[in-house]
Amino acid sequence: MKILLIEDEPELRKSIKQYLHQEGYLVESASDFTKGSEKAGVYDYDCILVDITLPKGSGLDIVKQLKQNNSKAGIIIISAKNSSDDKITGLDLGADDYLAKPFDLAELNSRIKALIRRRNFDGNKAIVVNEITIIPEERTVKVNNEQVLLTAKEYDMLLFFISNKNRVVSKNTIAEHLWGDESDQMDSHDFIYVHLRNLRKKLADKGCTDYVQTIYGIGYNFKVS
Amino acid sequence: MRLINKTILYYLLISFPLLIIAGYFSYFLIKSELRDGADESLVKEKSNAIQLINSFKEPHNVNLSFDSLSNIQVVKNGEVGEIYFDTSIYDIGEQEFTPYRILKSHYSFNNNNYLITVAKTTLEEDELMEGLFSAFGIIIVFLVFAFFMANWLLSKTLWKPFHNTLSELNTYDIKKHDPHKFEPVATTEFNQLNIALNKMTEKIYSDFLQQKEFTENASHEMQTPLAIVKANLSLLMQSSNLKEEEMNQLQTIENTLKKLSALNKSLILLTKIENNQFRENVTINLNEVIAKALDNYSDLIQAKNIQIETDLKSDLKIEMNPILADILLSNLLQNAIRHNNADGKIVVSIKEKELSISNSGEPLSVSKEDLFVRFKKNDASKDSLGLGLSIVKSITDTYNYAIAYNYNNSLHTFIIHFS
Repeated sequence: MKILLIEDEPELRKSIKQYLHQEGYLVESASDFTKGSEKAGVYDYDCILVDITLPKGSGLDIVKQLKQNNSKAGIIIISAKNSSDDKITGLDLGADDYLAKPFDLAELNSRIKALIRRRNFDGNKAIVVNEITIIPEERTVKVNNEQVLLTAKEYDMLLFFISNKNRVVSKNTIAEHLWGDESDQMDSHDFIYVHLRNLRKKLADKGCTDYVQTIYGIGYNFKVS
Repeated sequence: MRLINKTILYYLLISFPLLIIAGYFSYFLIKSELRDGADESLVKEKSNAIQLINSFKEPHNVNLSFDSLSNIQVVKNGEVGEIYFDTSIYDIGEQEFTPYRILKSHYSFNNNNYLITVAKTTLEEDELMEGLFSAFGIIIVFLVFAFFMANWLLSKTLWKPFHNTLSELNTYDIKKHDPHKFEPVATTEFNQLNIALNKMTEKIYSDFLQQKEFTENASHEMQTPLAIVKANLSLLMQSSNLKEEEMNQLQTIENTLKKLSALNKSLILLTKIENNQFRENVTINLNEVIAKALDNYSDLIQAKNIQIETDLKSDLKIEMNPILADILLSNLLQNAIRHNNADGKIVVSIKEKELSISNSGEPLSVSKEDLFVRFKKNDASKDSLGLGLSIVKSITDTYNYAIAYNYNNSLHTFIIHFS
């Protein structure tokens, strides 16, 4: 999987690259509009992450350029301007997703995976982790070929864990993934715990190993060897 | 009171004492003129009497008038000289005292002494006053009438440019700024006013643009460093050899970072609302927005075991920006959840053009007036940013909706009147 990251902030570029590299992606990066536009035009990528505000131009023009060239790459806009106008313009131009800064790397990772899954029509549509099988198109989960009935939140939580397997994800990140902007104002993470407890129980009932490790003080790790 | 009416009122107030002074002088002038006239005719009558005496063969008394006030008397002592004086004599016919001007004069003829008395009625004082009052009254009536006519004409012509400027000012919209909105006019003062207004609006507009730009810049400049911290924090968390204490510290950093991002987002939102950057309005069914918000927060509501009571009899449809409508309802609901007791309740009701959201909870620790002020928050809620209700207020202000708060029977209630 090849990813192009167009972001002018060197520190952010470095961290995103590092995180995605650990996920096993091949990440190339560009620091301004000219370089980004050039790379996007010459090479093929599975996914392109582009910032809107770039030196020498707008990331939105790169989105336009990619669409004119009928690029097959999935496009995610990462922008500091969390304005609905930019979001709508970006998505109208053909971007697949929009992520406002500051975002969590685990969130970015899960968005990239979802995007690649959607675009990968010919490939295997199911996600298989040992005895767990997820079919994202149907939003169904099977353990040892037996269907597990999950609520929407439990399903989203499981998919998020699996997208970030073997990674420590904080409770805040999970809350933000499940409740979006509304999680900004939440007082406690108790109800994350409630959803997690139910998820664990439902999986265990079908004979699933408990992969979710509690990382003291921070969050959880979905550990699959 | 209109300026022109005020001016006229002042003119009238000044006219009154002037008229009184004028009346006072007129009174004495007219009075002395009248006396001079009376004296002249008395002298004439006296000469007639002297002519009569000169024709006397024998001295004797003569009545010169019916009321015998004017007469010729034969007197013994031979005084000389004459004397004018005023007196009042009771008139039986008219049954009142009548003022008279009298001339008594001594005259000698053929060694006989005569006292000639001639009298003439003069104008009564109250009649004089009456005349003067009616004259001045008529003058005042004419003045008032003339002033008001002038007012009407002046406001129609002279004040026209001013009224034009005023209506332009009332419709001034900073987002549709026109640098030459206030056009030159012929009257110097009004022209100066228009020039000053053009300058002022120009300055306000450039400040407005700068502030808007600043908001966008601040957003970008702050979100990127926050994103860097957050990204590196995620990477640091993956480290496998963290001690328990270090993990706690990481958690503290993450929580604080989350709060900082939320704060930044809210402040930018608040500035955007206040800059009127959410403009496109559509017809919104508020009942649907409420249902959506309740659904969004169902987990929070369940976590606190809060009972929801809804009383949504009729559909409330309003013209509003959809994003702002969502934010308005979300913030009110969040507020009702956060400041609620465990096992408390929330009551949402819609009546015609009114929405009310109530929640159970402890009485406020801040004053009612400070409720919508930025960063003023109830001590109890440490996690609150203190911006939620400021955002609510700035949205209702944008649309001129009235928002009220009250606390009754352990229920905090916010009522918004959409009109």
